[in-house]
Order: sequence, then C-alpha cells, then structure tokens
Amino acid sequence: MKSNFYRSKLLYLLAFLLSSSWMAFGQNQTITGKVTDEKGEALIGVNIIVKETNKGTTTNADGKYSLSVPGSSSKIIYTFVSYESKEVTVGNQSIINVSLNPDAKSLSEVVVVGYGVQKKATISGSVVAVKGSDLQKSPSVNLSNSLAGRMAGVVAVNRSGEPGYDGSSIRIRGANTLNNNDALIVIDGIPNRAGGLDRINPADIETISVLKDASAAIYGARAANGVILITTKKGKSGKPELSYSFNQGFSQPTVIPKLANAAQYAGMLNDLDIYGLPTSEWAAATAAYKATGVYNGRKAPYSPTDMQQYKDGSDPWLHPDTDWYGATLKAWSPQTRHNVQMSGGSENIKYLASLGYQNQDAYYKNSATGYDQYDLRLNLDAKINENVNLSIGLMGREEQRRFPTKAAGAIFRMQMRGKPNQPAFWPNGLPGPDIENGENPVVITTNQTGYETDKQSYFQTNGQLDVKIPWVQGLKLTGTAAIDKRFRATKRWETPWTLYEKGTGFEADGKTPTLVASKRGPAEPRLTLGDENQLNVLLGAIVTYERKFGDHNVTVLAGSNRETIVGDNFNAYRRFFISPALDQLFAGGDLEKTNTGGAYERARLNYFGRAAYNFKEKYLAEFLWRYDGSDIFPEATRYGFFPGGMLGWVMSEESFIKDQLPVINFLKVRGSWGQMGNDQIATYQYLSTYGFRSYVIGNVETKTLFETKIPNNNIKWEVATNSDIGLEGSLFNDKVTFELDYFYNKRTDILWVKNASVPQSTGLTLPAQNIGEVENSGYDFTLGYRNQIGDFKYNVGLNGGYAKNKILFWDEAPGAPEWQRSTGRPMNTYVAYQYDGVFKDQAAIDANTISYKAIVNTLRPGDMKYKDWNGDGKIDPNDMVRNDFTQLPLFQGGFNIGASYKNFDLTILFQGAAGAMQYVSAGESGNIGNFLLDIYQNRWTVENPSSVHPRLANRNDQYFSGNNTYWLRSNDYIRLKNFEIGYNVPGQALSKIGLKNCRVYANGLNMFTWDALGVYDPETVNATGQYYPQSKLINVGLTATF
Amino acid sequence: MKKRYLIIALSVFGTVFTSCNDSFVNTKPLDQLSESVVWTDPSLADAFVTELYGGLGVGGFNEQMLASLTDEASFTHPGRNITTITESRSQPADPGWINGTLSWQNMYTRIRACNLAIENLKKATAFPAATVTRLTGEAKFMRAYFYHQLVRYYGGVPIVDKSFSLADTEFLSKRNTMKECIDFIVKDCDEAATALNGLSMAAGRATRPAAMALKSRILIYAASDLYDATTAKSKSTAMAAYTNPEFVAYVDGSRADRWTKAKDAAKAVLDLPGFGSQLNLSAPAAKEDGSANYQNIALARNGGEKDLIFARYFINAKQEDGGRIGLFNGPNGYHNWAGNAPIQNFVDDYEMMDGSKFSWSNAEHSANPYANRDPRFYVSLMYDGSTWKPRTADVAAKDPLNQIQTGQYEITSGGSKVPYFGLDTRKSSVEDWNGSYTGYYFRKFLDPNPAIVDQSTWQQIPWPFFRYTEAIFNYAEACIELGQDAEARAWLNKIRFRSGMPALTESGDALRQKYRNERRIEMAFEEQRYHDARRWMIAGPTLGRKVQIMNVIGTLKAGKTVTLYKYDPTSYDYQYKVVEMDPGKENRAWADKMYFLPIHRDEMNRNKNLVQNPGY
Repeated sequence: MKSNFYRSKLLYLLAFLLSSSWMAFGQNQTITGKVTDEKGEALIGVNIIVKETNKGTTTNADGKYSLSVPGSSSKIIYTFVSYESKEVTVGNQSIINVSLNPDAKSLSEVVVVGYGVQKKATISGSVVAVKGSDLQKSPSVNLSNSLAGRMAGVVAVNRSGEPGYDGSSIRIRGANTLNNNDALIVIDGIPNRAGGLDRINPADIETISVLKDASAAIYGARAANGVILITTKKGKSGKPELSYSFNQGFSQPTVIPKLANAAQYAGMLNDLDIYGLPTSEWAAATAAYKATGVYNGRKAPYSPTDMQQYKDGSDPWLHPDTDWYGATLKAWSPQTRHNVQMSGGSENIKYLASLGYQNQDAYYKNSATGYDQYDLRLNLDAKINENVNLSIGLMGREEQRRFPTKAAGAIFRMQMRGKPNQPAFWPNGLPGPDIENGENPVVITTNQTGYETDKQSYFQTNGQLDVKIPWVQGLKLTGTAAIDKRFRATKRWETPWTLYEKGTGFEADGKTPTLVASKRGPAEPRLTLGDENQLNVLLGAIVTYERKFGDHNVTVLAGSNRETIVGDNFNAYRRFFISPALDQLFAGGDLEKTNTGGAYERARLNYFGRAAYNFKEKYLAEFLWRYDGSDIFPEATRYGFFPGGMLGWVMSEESFIKDQLPVINFLKVRGSWGQMGNDQIATYQYLSTYGFRSYVIGNVETKTLFETKIPNNNIKWEVATNSDIGLEGSLFNDKVTFELDYFYNKRTDILWVKNASVPQSTGLTLPAQNIGEVENSGYDFTLGYRNQIGDFKYNVGLNGGYAKNKILFWDEAPGAPEWQRSTGRPMNTYVAYQYDGVFKDQAAIDANTISYKAIVNTLRPGDMKYKDWNGDGKIDPNDMVRNDFTQLPLFQGGFNIGASYKNFDLTILFQGAAGAMQYVSAGESGNIGNFLLDIYQNRWTVENPSSVHPRLANRNDQYFSGNNTYWLRSNDYIRLKNFEIGYNVPGQALSKIGLKNCRVYANGLNMFTWDALGVYDPETVNATGQYYPQSKLINVGLTATF
Repeated sequence: MKKRYLIIALSVFGTVFTSCNDSFVNTKPLDQLSESVVWTDPSLADAFVTELYGGLGVGGFNEQMLASLTDEASFTHPGRNITTITESRSQPADPGWINGTLSWQNMYTRIRACNLAIENLKKATAFPAATVTRLTGEAKFMRAYFYHQLVRYYGGVPIVDKSFSLADTEFLSKRNTMKECIDFIVKDCDEAATALNGLSMAAGRATRPAAMALKSRILIYAASDLYDATTAKSKSTAMAAYTNPEFVAYVDGSRADRWTKAKDAAKAVLDLPGFGSQLNLSAPAAKEDGSANYQNIALARNGGEKDLIFARYFINAKQEDGGRIGLFNGPNGYHNWAGNAPIQNFVDDYEMMDGSKFSWSNAEHSANPYANRDPRFYVSLMYDGSTWKPRTADVAAKDPLNQIQTGQYEITSGGSKVPYFGLDTRKSSVEDWNGSYTGYYFRKFLDPNPAIVDQSTWQQIPWPFFRYTEAIFNYAEACIELGQDAEARAWLNKIRFRSGMPALTESGDALRQKYRNERRIEMAFEEQRYHDARRWMIAGPTLGRKVQIMNVIGTLKAGKTVTLYKYDPTSYDYQYKVVEMDPGKENRAWADKMYFLPIHRDEMNRNKNLVQNPGY
C-alpha cells in the first residue's frame, strides 16, 4: 500500500523532532539595560535573545532587562512588534541600553505568497494582506465575518447569523464564472483543508494574505478564483509568555422586520375578502364592513367589534395582539470565548501552543440552538543544526452544533407568517396553537421537538523539513507532509410536542375558554444517525535556490505535491419508538427503518515553481507556473500547465524621483498576466456512468439504474486569464500610502451544458462542455494616512473594490428579444416586467389602451401597470427586460480609523456595498401570514387609492405579485462594521501581580446600518425574510499576559 | 550527523519526486456503475429497464392534478402557473404548468432510455433469451407509453428510435405526422404484447394487457374529431388556418376504419380474462352497494383491484408524493391543503339516482342538492354536511360528528346569534389559507381509514393508468360512432348497474351525450377529461366556462339554539348559492390553440426543423 509507505515517511519527520537536541553552555556574564523607543519611552515586553542560544528574556514594565550571556563575543538580538529589530555585540559592556526605531515603512514588511514569503516592496503581483491582530478586533466567532471591508477587492457577504452556519460567502474580485466562484483557501501551506477558514481561532492567526491576480498561478488548476493564504502564529524565542484572553459578547438581530399589528392585519384580511367581489361592489362592501361588518349577507372576516378589541387589548384570550418576534426572541444572546496562548523558546526551538473555547447562543428564548467549539493548536519550529530546520503544526478542533428539529428557515418562516391576532402564549402561560404543521415558534425553538446535534472534529497536522545544502550557497530542499482527518457525527431525535388549541366551551368562570392539549409533530419518536469521515494526505517536496549576485537577486523554486482524499459516510433511521424516553437506535421500531451510505476518493498530482529576479530591488520580474493533474479529468487531458508572469518597476529607486521628488518615499508600478484553472466541477464527467434510484415493483422498493449523463471525453478545467496593472507608493515620510489596481479577467472554457443548441428531442442528458466565456473587470484601491501629534497617533484608511462581469458566450438559445438576452450581460441576472405605476381606479383602466390579455383576463383597480417595452400595444412575456443587477454587490469597500493616545486605543471600521438588488416578496402574506408594515402603510385601498403602490394580494395570487421591478429593491448600504476601544492597564500596577501586560477592551460588529432596503438586513438574499437574521454583536474582553 | 539528516531529507524528497507514476490519480466513482458493466449483467440490465417506469412519476397523484386544468376542479393555491392554461394564455415562451409526466424534455429523456435498453439488449447475446425478450417487451411498452403522452399533449412529434451520442452530427429531427406517430405507438404496443405474452409480471410492470389497453386508448383518440383534419377544421378556425394539419391530425384515410380499429382494440381488452369488477349485474345495485363498488375500484381493494390493468403503486416503505394525496387535497379543517377542489360545474353533472338530470331550477333539487344523487357522487366528493374521518385531536372538539363544514352558519353565543365560519372554509379557525374556494373537496382516491391521518401519514392507493372500465368506454364510444347503439348501451349499463344507476335507453346523439357524461362521472379525476374535452372538441363550452363555486349559508330556525355547530336541517335553514369564482383568482376562457400544448420557444430555437402547433 502506497499510503502506508508515505505514512512511514511521517514517522521519519517525527523522529527528527524527538532526536533533535539542543545545547548552549559556556562562561556567563550578566548584562542589564533598558530598551526604549525613539522618544526614550520604555518599551515593555521586548524580546531579547542571545543569538544562537536558547537564552532570552523580555523587558519588564519599566523597559528594563537582565540577561546572562556566554561570553563577550555573544550577540544580543532585540525584537519588538512594529519596531525594527537590532543586533548588538556584547564586547566588554555590562550595561547595554538600546533604542528601537519604529518599523514605519510598512513596505519593508514581508508578505506571505504561494510557497514562500516576499518583501512587500518587491512583490510584483496584486496581493493584499491583513494581520491577525486586526481580525481579533472583530467579536464574530466566525472568522469569515471579520474580513469584510478590510482588504480591497475581497468581497464578503454574510447571509445568516445562525450559530454554526453564520459564515460569509467570500468572493475575490467578484464573480468570474458561471460555476463555482469559491476561492482556494490555503492554511499553513496546505491547500483546501477540510473545515476551511471559518472556524479558525482568530487568536491563532498571524496573517491572511490574498492573491488576487496572476500571483495565484502557482496554485494552478485551483487558483482561478483567487487564493486566500492563512498563516498561523509561531513561537518567538525568549522567556515563555502566557497570555489569556476572555471575551463576553452579546448578539441580537441586526434587523427585525416590522410587521403589521393585529388590527392592521385584520383590516387587510377584510380588504382581501372584498376584493373577491365584483369591482362594482368594492366601495359599498368596504363601507359596510367598516360600519356593520356585514355586506349583503356576506360577513366580514373581522367585525368592527373584533377590530376594536384588537386595538384596545380588552380581550387577550380571543383578541390578542402578538408580536411574534418579541415572543420568540430574547433581547440579547450571550457568547463567550476563552483563549490561552503560550509561546517562547530558544533560538533552536520555538513553540506556540494555543487553546480556545467558545460558545454561542441563538436569539431564541429557551434556545435549543447553540454552538460550542474547542480548539487546540501547537506550532513547533526546531533548528536541528545550521542547515536543518523542522516545523510541525498540529491542530485539533471540535465543533458542536445543536439545533431543534425544525430548521431556522422554518422557524423564521413562522415568525414572518405568525398572525398577530393569534396568541403565541395564552394568557395563562400555555403555548398557543401552531401556525402550520404544528409549528409555533415559541415551542419549536426549544428542545420540546427533540434535538439535532452535529459534531464535527478535525485533526490536522503538517510538518515541514528544510535542509540547506551547505556546499551550494542558497540551495534548500523542503519536504512537506500534511495529514488531515475529519469526523462528523450527526443525530436527529424527533419527538412529538404539545400545543394548546382553543376548545369549544368555557371554564367554570364562564369566560375563560377551555384549552385542548394536542400532540403535534411526528406521530411517534424518530431517530436519524449519520456518520462521516475523511482523510486528506498531502506529500510535497520543494527545491529553492535563492542568491544574491551583486545587484542581482535571484530566486528559483520548484516543487511537487501529491494529494489524496478518501472519505465515506453512513446513515441510519428508525421510527416507531414506543416512547421518547430513550433516544438510541436499537430502541426504535423495525418497520420502515432505513440505512444508507457511500464513499468517495479524490487524487491530485502536481508540479509547480517560481523564478524571480530583481536588479537592485528596482526592476522586478517573476515567473510562476504549475503543472496540475487531477482525477476529475480523463487521462488524456488530466494535466494542465498554468503560467503567470509579473513585472515591476520601483520608480522611487530611480534618481529622478529619489533626488528630484523627495516627497515620494516609494513608488512602484507593476503588471501581471497569468492563466489559472478552476476545477471545482462535478466529478467523472468523462465516464459513462449509471446511478441508482428505486421504484416500487410488486409492493417492494426495487433498485433501478439510470444513465446519469453521456460522457464528455474532452472535459478540462476552466481557464482564467487574468491581467492586472497596479501602482503603489507612499508619500510625505510614509504618512500617505496608496495602492491602485485595475484588472481584467477573462474566463474561458467554462463548463456549461449545450442545452440551448441540442434539441431536447435527442433525449440526451448533456455533459458540461468547455464552452462558456465570461469577462470580469474592475479596480481596487487602498489609501492610507497616518500621523502622530504628541502622544496622539492615528491612521485612516479607505479601500474598495469594484468588479463587473459580463457573459461573452454560454450557448444561449436565439429567439429571445435582445433586451432579454443574457449574453453580453452580467451573470445570474433575471428578466422582469418593468413597473409603471398602478391603475388607480376604473377610470384609469378605461383610459388604458394597452392590452393585458396575455397576463390577466380582466384588469381591476389597484392592478399594476407595466411598460410595453417593445411598443406592440400589448403586455406579454416579450415585455420583460433583463436586469443588470444581481445579489452580489458590484462594489464593496471599507473605511477604517485607528487612533491611540497614551494607554487608550480605538479602531473603527465602516463597511459598505453597492450595486446589488434584492427581491422583496409578500409571497406568504395574506390569510397565510402577516404583511410587512411597509406594505400595510403603502397599499392601494378602496378608500385611499394609490397610483404608486398596488392593491394587496393574498399569497402573491395576483399577476403583479412578483417578477416585476416594483418588488426589486436596492441593497446598497454602509454600516459600522466593527469598532474597538481598548485600554492598556499601566505597567507599574501590573508587575506587582506578575502581569506583564493587561488590556481591556470593548468591541462590536454591525453596530449601525444605513441601508436602502429598509425591511431586512441589506446582506440578505432572502426575498421573504424567512431566514435567521444577521447578528449585531457587542463584546467586552480582556487580555492578560504573564 | 549532518550527513544523516541530509540523506533522509533527500530520500523523502526523491520519493515524492520519483512518484511520477501517477496511476493513483485514476480514481473511480464509488457510488456509480460504468455503462459497460450494466449491459453485461442481466440483473443490472433489469434494474435499468425497471427505471423506465420512473418516467411515470407518481402517476396523476401530483400536488397539482390535471383535473384542475379541466371542468372537474380548480386549484386552490396561487403561483403554480395553472391559470396560464385554464385562462388560455399559454405561449411558446411561457406554456404554463406542465407536469413532469408529460413534459417534452422528460418524455424524450425516457424515450432515450427505452432506445438504449432496446439497442443494448439486442447486443446482449450472453443474456438468457427469455430475459432479453421480457426486458425488450417492457421497454417497448414504455416507449409507446411515453410517445402516447407526447402525442396526446403535443400532436405528432419527432419519432426518435435510436440513442444519440455526442458524436452524432445531426440532432435536428423533423416532426412526424400524427398518423406515423400513432402507427409507431401501435407497433410498439403490438410487439410488447407479443413479447410479454404468457408472462406473469409483478404489480407495476408492463404486461400484455397493459400494452393492449394502451393501444385501445391511442386508437380511440385517433378516431376522434380532433384527430380528423376535416372535422377539426370545420369546428375550429385555428385548426382551419393551420398549414401543416398532418402534424396534429389524419389528413386522409377513412374515419370509419379508424373507429373499427379502435373498437377491435377495445374489444380485445374486454376479452381478456380475469379483469373487471362487478360487471355482471342485471339490475342497478342498491345505493350503498353502488357507492361501495365504485369506492372499491377507486381504492383498488375488495375486488376493485381487478379493474386495474396498469398502475403506479405506493408503499409506506418508500414515501413518495403519491402517498400524500390526502394531504394535498383533504380539507383544511383536517390540516390538509385542499389543492384540487371540485367545482360546481362538475358537481352539477352528477345525475339524480333515478337517472334524471340535476337542475337548480328544480325547487326540490335546489333545496337539498346533495340528496339522491348518483351513488358515485358520495365517493368522489366531500360537500357541506358530508361525513369524513375523525378530526385531529386539536380540532375534534369543534366537530365531534366528523362533518365537512364549508358554509357560513349562525350559532348562539351569549344569548345572541353570531356568525360562524365552517371548519373547512377559507375563514375557518384552522389553516384558513388552505381552504377550498369552491365549497367542495376531492374524496375519490383518499383512503377513508381513520388511522391514516392525512396530514402526516402516507396512504397506499395506486394510481390507475389503464383500467378495464376505460376499455369498456372506448368500446362503447366506437360502437356509438359506428351506429351500434345497442351494443354500446349493453356495456355502458354494466358500468351503471355496478354503481347503482338505472339503464340507459337513449340512441343516437342523445346516447352519445349520455355516454360522454357517464365517462366524465365514472372516470373523474383520472386524467381523462382533459383529453376527452379536446378530442370531442367540446372544450369551449366545457373547459372554457367560468368556474362556479358554492356558498352555503345556514340560518338558525326560529327558536333554535345551537352553541356547537353541526349539520342539522332541523335547526337550520340551508341556502345554497352558486356564484362565479373571483376573477382575480381564476378567470377561465378557451382559445383553440389550447387543443395542443405549444412546443417551447427554446426547443423551437434549438431545432429549426420543428413546426409550431396551431394557434401559437
């Protein structure tokens, strides 16, 4: 077995770790001193180590240190975050005072790129990065929610706040393909690790960098949608440092839709009842319903007395006025997070260990929903000897999700539908009847319906061995291994629950209605168990050659990865449990029990490399490539070659700027071009395969087989050809920084089905073919300004990205009129009638000359007008027009402010998006459920006819209820996405209790929103509001370092 | 020491790099089979052929039933594109609701599967000959069935009898004529009947009788008015203006021949042994027996299953929509969805028990419209005051007698009369948004077993594709059209006696009208009316009518006190008012283009050889 063979390789790597020993002895002398900043202020917690030893210390609260060194030839290295490090030879000194200079030039930072790091100043691709410390300012327990607005060109949209499923969808420079637009996520050098980035503990993150252009080409067939590189923290040499942080947060929905109250709702149902009559009777019926509740023998659904009682609350038993959201949701839901992190080490071995726990409650009162996470990370770096380095990373994580047996979609559906004139609870405290299917939100959010648990465990390891070849200067070999295991166990235990319906009589008092208890939900308890596991193995090797020849800097890298994934799953179900007392599979009945399972395997082999050259760090050139093979494709087209090239010119190194324009500190122009692939497609499309179904024959469920599709032997990946041109620089002593990029991406060979040209009469279930073409272009920018006035330091930044795509080809059938064609327009758009006001009254209908016969046989007052787009005198499907907007914003940006004064600091992030549209639907309004208050306030009525807003519809039953632009609303918004205010407790107070550093802070997420939609959260994609809303979070925390 | 590390490092390195043998990248799907395996293993080939029946969907037991496109029922819930069809607004770009069991795409996908099976079985020389014959017979039956679906909804369609592959250069088939299509279907039926002759097949599979019943159906269609170009043109301007009548009708040949062929095919079915239920009565069954006989056939039990020739079965071990027909159609007062609600226009076509017509202008009828009707009335429909299953626990106290309540009544509360809306109305206290607009509920195929709580329990009633009774009707129709009234009456009266109705005595056109109504009542909700109204070319005055609904008003008689409503003519005066349905809800009209569905604009664009149907 090959895999066993490779497993043994890992043992070798582990053996390295165990056999490595470390040494350091000699004649000691003691050095003392103080470390200060450029203004002479003490720096606390500066890392001090003796070079090439494991000896080290840190400065105390006064900036002072004491350290014993082996001898006068020893060198001491002083390092501190955001400051340039300094190296001092001891000589005969016994007191060494050091002043560190701030590392103002952010451009001297290094940035993580594919299979390496590069100095930001010499990068010639479009790469954007964010520090883990910035992400930690966001209180979201889901890392993906902390990215929005921080990186130009990275679009993150949060669709739901449900604990366990509250992630954001991330797009790099918008959407580029008709298929999967997900970026490749690389964690500590390993691509596409199970679990993704959502659940990584933010405290463990050193940096996240995003490759937006051809710089991603080194990831080949998976790089087309951009690459997100996550690097976790490593230990730093020095005395062990222990830090503990605690966060207590509280969340609530950002927006709770405003709905009609009981009296308003009852009035609307009376209106709807009237609209069932001939139009000539509407006015009389409206007057009669208001006056007496009876028109011509027809009784109004709600009499004037009913309406009065809904208003005045005089009859809480029979005429309640229920706020369903208020009855179901609590004001604030807690979440907690604890982190312990320990790091330290000598020059030879460094470690960082991190432990995290977090829990998150849902919005519901007595919530059955919640999320718990336990995570562990251990990063070790060992310098075995001068030429051999070893890194080992271990990550373990347990994610526990729990839910009631009704999904959040169903629960919030019932919040929206909940009739305000129906009780959530009866006045005596018993739960009221259901809205439908036994679903009363105050009950189905709790454990009364049983429970569902979803436990996902990850155990991920990666090891890297670097060996410098001593006899060839600059040559290094790197071996990599990663073994990731994922387990998932799900359990769903459904039990009946009890609701109380109003009976027919009254209690002894003659007033209180009797209540009837009724069992709702499943007829008897049922249990479903699921089990999944997956093993990913990656083995890799890289050769690097990096050398400086005079003014020539050369880097050459070549490597290979082989990756395999195997997984299987199993699932079992039983019903007819005789009691809810025992929730184990064996206790279920034997009838109608089912079980199923499956398995899969994936494999990849690839080769990649980079060649970079620069002259005096002034003229930059880089070439990247990957030769990628994946089992998704047939042998003949299995491998693809993906090249990328980048050029840069650091103009500020030229004398005409250096000498003539000193105001410019740094200026670089760069350009890139590359080809990458997207292989996120259905597997085995090159095979002719038959799948399983079943059919009832002879009263037995019998297995059947069907042709899944006809094969496409020529299938290959989509090809992204991405170009980028950028300008970046800094001015005025680096106070002002800027970065601008324009990009043009063209995706070709998009896999799409030729349904538009092959007739259905062939009966072919067509395979996807490499036929589609989409272009996507736009720009992104970052502007920054930083300054200091005395103790007051501040910085502001603005970033944004705009991307608009266009379908160039996708086998669209001819025949639709030009204004409906999708080719030449953005992806995922739809056609809709163009709203043109409302027929206010019969006179307006009589004056109308356009025929509506194709969509409605009789027009009535309050009906909507459409534009006769083609001017043929009639409204028919040819008058629908394709809209240019989708649910994905065209522009997303952020504006951040950071400030500090003495021990206080403040960061603020505003984030906004523009160019997305969202349908708002009253699809479940009417006698099926409540209306948005907005609809109530604006509706056409007999007494107050509108020429702008239409008549009410019952459950969207009118022709104008959907598919027209009236219901299409802008989703533009700006929100205070994130803020944090912090205070560093002064050192003197702390040192007495052994604390090195203590910081207290308060932060928040989605605090305020200014939006155009007005009814739901502007990040929603749900037309009816039937989803778990996004969260607003406030949080307080402290971090103590020992 | 240094050297040792290096050697190990280099060996790791070398191993990865030299593993250029990439055979490990050749993974296989672990959840599917490859094509070559399937056609070398008779069990797998059998499984492939069995899947052909999957093209039958859940028979007619979809949430939206074909009945709601006809003057049998109206669909309660909005947004299903049903009114596009009932209001005759179908267009090639927007044809309206089309069920999967008849859609162009699904039928051709399934026809391809039939062709694949037939072709591969021909090559499967290693299989036992009997297996090849049986499976080929099943595949041919199903191919005929799928073409019969296409033909009766779309007219003549391209006959595809080979399996295309991507290597084909020509995908654009031409429409075949109506005659060619019917000949093709008949040929497949005949070959299937031969192949399956003498075989004992499990319930749900094709059989020789099924093939013969399909042949009978398609031939009775072929003989009908709509399928005869001359007649169709004389009755419809859209048909008259159509330049390619051969695609939708016979343009030559003798109609009498077609009727004779239809009659012979029907008679062949009637001659099959072992089918039919309670057809040997010499006088009308008693009322209760008539209802029971009819219900047994609808529910396929107690001997009624003998009427089934080909059906779609449902079992609780596989929960499919076909078992949820009670939820889809039952009353809202039982927490059901009341989807396909029978309309007054249908209700009125049930005769009185004595065989006379029901009439609202007859004072006795209008005062008590649900009394003394055809015994089938009580099986097929629920109406105000009829009894049904016990209500669910939360509602039971409001209706201990289990009576359907579709009216607005008065009850006594605090000494005065207050209005009360029945539990099964759209103003009910129970899930009012699901209530029927029409005042009636579908009952025919619902299992009356009280243990089946329709809201949450699946039922196991099969959907009848072909029944022996249909062949009787086909035979009678052909006889009438050939002037053999006595023979027609003899067979029709078997059906009438079985259900407790007196014998027909009419002749000529009067008999034809009686026959048509008899077929409408007996075959209610079985996907017959949609086609019958079209092929008889009576759709305008039937399907095109505005929907009529029932308003029941119960007024307390003087001096009566009722606190808990029940149907009680001693306490209430009941008034039955027929009104038209709110035009904003459904506003029916007929246009002649609706005789056939449009071929979708996109398919027209894909295939320039296609010719659109008349009127579009």
